[in-house]
Amino acid sequence: MKKTFKIGGTHPKDSKLSSEISIETLPLSEKVYISMAQHLGAPATPVVAKGDKVLVGQVIGEPAGFISGYVHSSVSGTVADVVPMPDLAGNMVMHVAIDVEGDEWDPAIDRTDKIVTETSGTPEQLIAQIKAAGVVGMGGATFPTHVKLAPPKDKKAEYLILNGAECEPYVTADDRIMRELPKQIVIGARIMMRALSVEKCFIAIEENKPAAIDAMTKAAASFVGIEVLKMKKKYPQGGEKQLIDAITSRQVPSGALPIDTGCVVQNVATALAVYEAVQKNKPLFERVMTVTGDCLQNRKNFRVRIGTPLNDILAAVGGAPVEGNMKYISGGPMMGKAIVNLNATTQKGSSCLLMLTEKQTLRKSESNCIRCGKCAEACPMGLEPWLLNKLARVGGRYDDLEQNHIADCIECGCCLYTCPANIPLLDIIRINKAEVMKIIRARQAK
Amino acid sequence: MTDVLIALAPASLVSIYFYGLPVLLLLAVSAAACILFEFLIHKYLMGSKTEFNGLSAAVTGVLLALNLPPAAPWWIAVIGAFVAIAIAKMSFGGLGQNIFNPALVGRVFLLISFPVIMTTWSAPAGLFHNVDAFSGATPLSIINEGVKAGIPANEIIAAHNFTPLEMLFARTGGSVGEVSAIALLIGFIYLLVRRVIRPHITLSIWVTVAVMTGIFCLANPAQFSGPAFNLLTGGMLLGSIFMATDYVTSPMTAKGQIFFGVGIGVIAVLIRYFGSYPEGVSFAILIMNCVTPLLNRLKPVGFGRK
Repeated sequence: MKKTFKIGGTHPKDSKLSSEISIETLPLSEKVYISMAQHLGAPATPVVAKGDKVLVGQVIGEPAGFISGYVHSSVSGTVADVVPMPDLAGNMVMHVAIDVEGDEWDPAIDRTDKIVTETSGTPEQLIAQIKAAGVVGMGGATFPTHVKLAPPKDKKAEYLILNGAECEPYVTADDRIMRELPKQIVIGARIMMRALSVEKCFIAIEENKPAAIDAMTKAAASFVGIEVLKMKKKYPQGGEKQLIDAITSRQVPSGALPIDTGCVVQNVATALAVYEAVQKNKPLFERVMTVTGDCLQNRKNFRVRIGTPLNDILAAVGGAPVEGNMKYISGGPMMGKAIVNLNATTQKGSSCLLMLTEKQTLRKSESNCIRCGKCAEACPMGLEPWLLNKLARVGGRYDDLEQNHIADCIECGCCLYTCPANIPLLDIIRINKAEVMKIIRARQAK
Repeated sequence: MTDVLIALAPASLVSIYFYGLPVLLLLAVSAAACILFEFLIHKYLMGSKTEFNGLSAAVTGVLLALNLPPAAPWWIAVIGAFVAIAIAKMSFGGLGQNIFNPALVGRVFLLISFPVIMTTWSAPAGLFHNVDAFSGATPLSIINEGVKAGIPANEIIAAHNFTPLEMLFARTGGSVGEVSAIALLIGFIYLLVRRVIRPHITLSIWVTVAVMTGIFCLANPAQFSGPAFNLLTGGMLLGSIFMATDYVTSPMTAKGQIFFGVGIGVIAVLIRYFGSYPEGVSFAILIMNCVTPLLNRLKPVGFGRK
């Protein structure tokens, strides 16, 4: 039985062009720039200075608050500078620039391929190890994993859900790690189950990844309480709230957190990072990233060090695939963000570098709303995007927008994708949601 | 919009086959007039800078023609097109802004202004035949007149051989688009398969009409015609498939659409049974169009909300 969420959803073409391409390690760059804001929450505080020598896996940034995280060096060499520069999204963020010299790892890291199955340690110890390794949610939201694994005292986790849905078109990074490193992922899940003290873990994978489902089912067979579920191919199946609904039929109440349904959702790539952190003592300084696009011949699933300039990745696949204007997206085409600057560098949440031609990304001219209601039909949160658009365009009607639940929007883009009048619904909702959230926060602060 | 035109093609072609070239002329004049009026108003009266797209006007034009009697003169279509586009659509602000279905406003305007022309039906003949403008009457008007004259409805139906099979395939007298139920149903299936419309409105109209006429017919078969007859005659299929489902003038959520369909079904049956007009689908849809903004207040099912 294929499971799926109950409300809305769309079916974009999945375009998993790079699903049969094995993971390959990207050669080291000459210089990397490691962002201090790779996680949700407060940016890390740099703890190295210009001229310092660093090893691979050495701490270069320390958490600056409860929701924050450690940042490690992904290379060995000399710190060239600690300087603010634009990150992937174009925000000015403190970066540590390192001139790469050789590839010398922190000796504490277990670099062998041996799979370490046995787990030990109390939940507190495991969470401390995960925190020290700088593990964050690698599906894109980059919420610090150690915070998610330690829910407030009054909330009790019942299920761990591993998110391997990968419902974004084009992206195949999770597919590849599930095929190539299934045991490690399952052990990572086991560690998180221990940390959360839960007995049951579901691993959710969309039906368009049969090889990954097979590999994960085999790997999970030797563990008690871990079950692989085949999910219907429907966007946004991998949305945290949608996944919980699909698997447990529990809906996260409006304004509440997933833990209120007794579920903790973690990405499969995060599970892999947890395995490496706890079993191999290896901090999160590299990840698998898909480099793809219809226009690109030389598609790759690269193992990339954090802080690698996108220009170096582009050079590794033979440069820009077509002449003229291109659009580069970090992440998938539905929720990914357009990259402002190819000098920007990869982060812990960078799952994909997607290349689109000008023709693919041209927006058709907007016409009047014809009140077809397709946006409301597609919205997985049961919102009315047409109404939000209308209210937003009047200007200033934030109370009406709030009453129509704009804060519930998960920004999946289903409305924009289905709109026959080409109205930029998501853009308008996103801008106004940010305003409404500001107002809500200001009210709560009082 | 292209999909809607494709969905209307079977009904249009069957009609051209049975009624001949005059129907082709009606379709062409009506569509061309609608596009022209919309273009002129869009460009010169409203001074819009946005790109003009005539597809939605073309759909209105084809629907209007399908709602005219086959023997109607071409200038009727021009007047209807003007009312539909200039008054019912553009004066509200153009595409997406109108409250009432433009083609139906055009039709009802013509029905009230030119009652003789608009109720002079011809029997389906064939391509290249001149339309015989005085030989036919619609099944609905036959029943309406007959029952008023005191003849039991079931006897009229039997006498005129209005079997469901006969009406399903073709050759029921009436408006251009009403000639073949099968052709309309093919269009309906096409619209569903292409996900242009959802079935909620159409099906809720059908169910309402079937249930309501079923009860009336069981209670008094001499006075009231039955479900099959009512579903297959007049503008019921054309209206429920193509007019009631118009995006702009119908509710947006599933809940609203079901209420909308039920309302149309009830009003249409009441007009047919008790009104002075033999046919009530156009009026029913227009009346429910008024309620659409209210029905849009029915919210979709929210995620994690009560």
